[in-house]
Amino acid sequence: MIARALPLAIAVCAVAWMQAPPRPGSGQAPTLFRDIARDAGITFQHHAAPEKKFIVESMSGGVAMFDYDNDGRPDLYFVDSLTVETASRPESARSALYRNLGNGKFQDVTDKSGLGHPGWGMGVCTADVDGDGWQDVYVTALGGNHLYMNKRDGTFADATESAGLRVGGWSAGCGFADYDRDGRLDLFVSRYVKVDLTHLPEFGKDKTCEYRGIAVQCGPRGLQGEGDFLFHNDGNGKFTDVSEKAGVSDPRGYFGLGIAWFDFNDDGWPDLYVANDSTANFLYVNQKDGTFKEQAFPLGVAVSEDGAEQGSMGVTLGDYDHSGRFSLFVTNFSEEYNALYHNDASHFSDVSFKSRTAPSSLPYVGWGDAFIDYDNDTWPDVIVVNGHVYPQLDKVKLGASAGYRQRKLLYHNRGDGTFEEVAARYGPVLMDERVSRGLAAGDLDDDGGIDVVINDLDGSPQILHNELSPRGGWIIVKLTGKAPNTDAIGAVITVTTGTTRQRAVVQSGTSYLSQNDMRQHFGLGAATTVDSIEVLWPDGTTSRQTGVKPNQVMTVRQ
Amino acid sequence: MLSLLLAAALAGLPAQQADRESTLKAASAAMAGGRRDEARQLLRDAGTRFGSVRALLLLARMQSTEGDAAGALETLRAARKLAPNSEDVLNAMAQVSLAAKSPLSAILTLQALTRLCPSVAQYQYLLGVALVRAGDMPAASDALARADALEPDHPLTLMALGLVDTQQKRYDEAKTALARSLELDSDNVEARAALAEAEAGLDDIASAERDASRALAADARNARANLVIGMVRATQERYAEARDALLASSTADPQSPKVDYQLSLVYARLGDQAAAKHHLDMYQQKLRAAEAELKALHDAGVGGAVRK
Repeated sequence: MIARALPLAIAVCAVAWMQAPPRPGSGQAPTLFRDIARDAGITFQHHAAPEKKFIVESMSGGVAMFDYDNDGRPDLYFVDSLTVETASRPESARSALYRNLGNGKFQDVTDKSGLGHPGWGMGVCTADVDGDGWQDVYVTALGGNHLYMNKRDGTFADATESAGLRVGGWSAGCGFADYDRDGRLDLFVSRYVKVDLTHLPEFGKDKTCEYRGIAVQCGPRGLQGEGDFLFHNDGNGKFTDVSEKAGVSDPRGYFGLGIAWFDFNDDGWPDLYVANDSTANFLYVNQKDGTFKEQAFPLGVAVSEDGAEQGSMGVTLGDYDHSGRFSLFVTNFSEEYNALYHNDASHFSDVSFKSRTAPSSLPYVGWGDAFIDYDNDTWPDVIVVNGHVYPQLDKVKLGASAGYRQRKLLYHNRGDGTFEEVAARYGPVLMDERVSRGLAAGDLDDDGGIDVVINDLDGSPQILHNELSPRGGWIIVKLTGKAPNTDAIGAVITVTTGTTRQRAVVQSGTSYLSQNDMRQHFGLGAATTVDSIEVLWPDGTTSRQTGVKPNQVMTVRQ
Repeated sequence: MLSLLLAAALAGLPAQQADRESTLKAASAAMAGGRRDEARQLLRDAGTRFGSVRALLLLARMQSTEGDAAGALETLRAARKLAPNSEDVLNAMAQVSLAAKSPLSAILTLQALTRLCPSVAQYQYLLGVALVRAGDMPAASDALARADALEPDHPLTLMALGLVDTQQKRYDEAKTALARSLELDSDNVEARAALAEAEAGLDDIASAERDASRALAADARNARANLVIGMVRATQERYAEARDALLASSTADPQSPKVDYQLSLVYARLGDQAAAKHHLDMYQQKLRAAEAELKALHDAGVGGAVRK
């Protein structure tokens, strides 16, 4: 059961916190995360064909942590998928919305909500699309996406057609941002591979559908990719496709997956990163005139340091070194490496090996990822969930690659620009081998420990409740922006304690096809007061709070 | 009827053998006398008229030393038709293919050779080298590990293993193999440069600079050592020095997409957008060429450890 916050106890713990994480051999493994999914009442099961003979059966699904009923507690939405066999029976897949009851329990409210059957679901992102103060939901899918408008009574209405957001083909990532700073939230959708379910490439049909000598699903290489979409929010419940005009349509059809909106160069305009599988990634730099210029290569975030195009899946960003700039962490295929691109202001540097995040990632196929300060020491750590795409791998000699089911990676931030992979220190929860995809982070119970929710392919999800003790102080900042961007998506929060300055950005859509809680969690270490909380709002205005007490959820209104 | 045919064959055999031997002797004499055209013709005759594999092997060797790799391969294909399981022919084909930068042909030949002679370390080593050239690092790693198991502590095998590990970003393993290779053969410049690359990957910049400098002292044009210095200087934001080192690397190894990619980054940092774009274009051309090679490998039924 999740305990509600006990600020006094946590403050006492915070004083004792400043110590390195425990080392192996120092006794029983301490508990960091406990999987509470079953106890919490989560019964969702993701569906995928067991043999994954087709690539369409390997890529779902996302998970969202968002407060759909405005009760202050983050709720959960898991995306389910169909299979080639069940494709003609959309009711076979049931995505699920769970209401956070606040006592460590969740209630399945899917049927009432109307979010249960988006079809062959892939990913999810949320935002208050119409500025009514209630978060709406966008679900990407194979064969048609869905915009579900929050009716403020626990139900949603499918407004896809009227909004003009019926994207066909195979959509993957999505995220809302106000790219033109007109106050309204626009939508980007990445797309993956062009597929015709009646003419799918035959499993293991030739050498292009083999891996280490065994027959596997075909793709993405060898298949045709699909372009991406940017929709401008016209403010009347309708969106207009501006993909080509804005220069983000991806006419070459790279295999788009995870996305992240963020203002990488601090010019006040949202830029856009797209993680592409087996092709170069994109960084669209906002030209402030409604268009973007793709600059991933010159900025150093397109490929590996060898110039190799990687199988990129998920993307997250964080100010992991307190530089005040947002760096990118991109998950990749096995025998490649998860890439950490450090933001050097004018460009990025691939510091994956320098930071020591890369070596431990080589055997794994990475998907959802997030910067999370799991021990509240002020230094954002990184969590990555893994799992291969070929179940057939378990039948053969694997070489450097791990098997089909894979453990997680937890990188402890050492505060000096380097990380240490520490998953094994924290018992079996992180070492349990699974086939994970989406990941969302946030504090589900406001106890100051950041929690992680994972959607596993073809299995049960995990809710990893943070039970680390002791850990540092914390503060969670919830922003309420001016309508219509009531969640202040794109706002940058700077928290200062002594000489430590941390930054975080409010995002819609991140990780692998997933949605983090939009409230921003900051670890405070041993600090007994937050000197200041500064907010750079999406419209360029700023606000500042000083002398804030730690260990609380603080709402800042514009 | 059968006995008549047999008798005729037996009667004719010594005469044919004598003709073949005399032709080979004449070819040797022609070679010794510097009459290479005549020698080539005689060897070709011995191959085609008498089915002499030895003559074709000698001819292929001549062609190879004269730089006619394509001709040598053609001759060896003819020899292989006569003796499909000849270790000598397969070995020659593999070596000529490697010298001719035809990794696919080399791999197919070496796969046959390693099936025929599974306990010969050299063939496993050559297969590993061919797979490296083809870009199939996991398969190369397997072949080199077999070579290492068959004949431990061979400096060239260790160097190749180190190079493959470096390519696969397994820098710790690479460093171990390369350091051992250099213990056995401290003058190997390529191994020294590769060690520098592994050290750079481990963020041991001081050691990387030291070993790269040692490699460059022995061979100022060494592509790998210049690449290491270029990348180290780039991380130190000494972009002009990085550019110069990378250009030297590119001159020595004009086929490397990695060098062009790094050059595109360095020129972008220097503000020379035209040069950055030029090297980005070059990088992309080379990347596509490398992918085409790998695809040809897959299409031919070789490799398969790389995600499509």
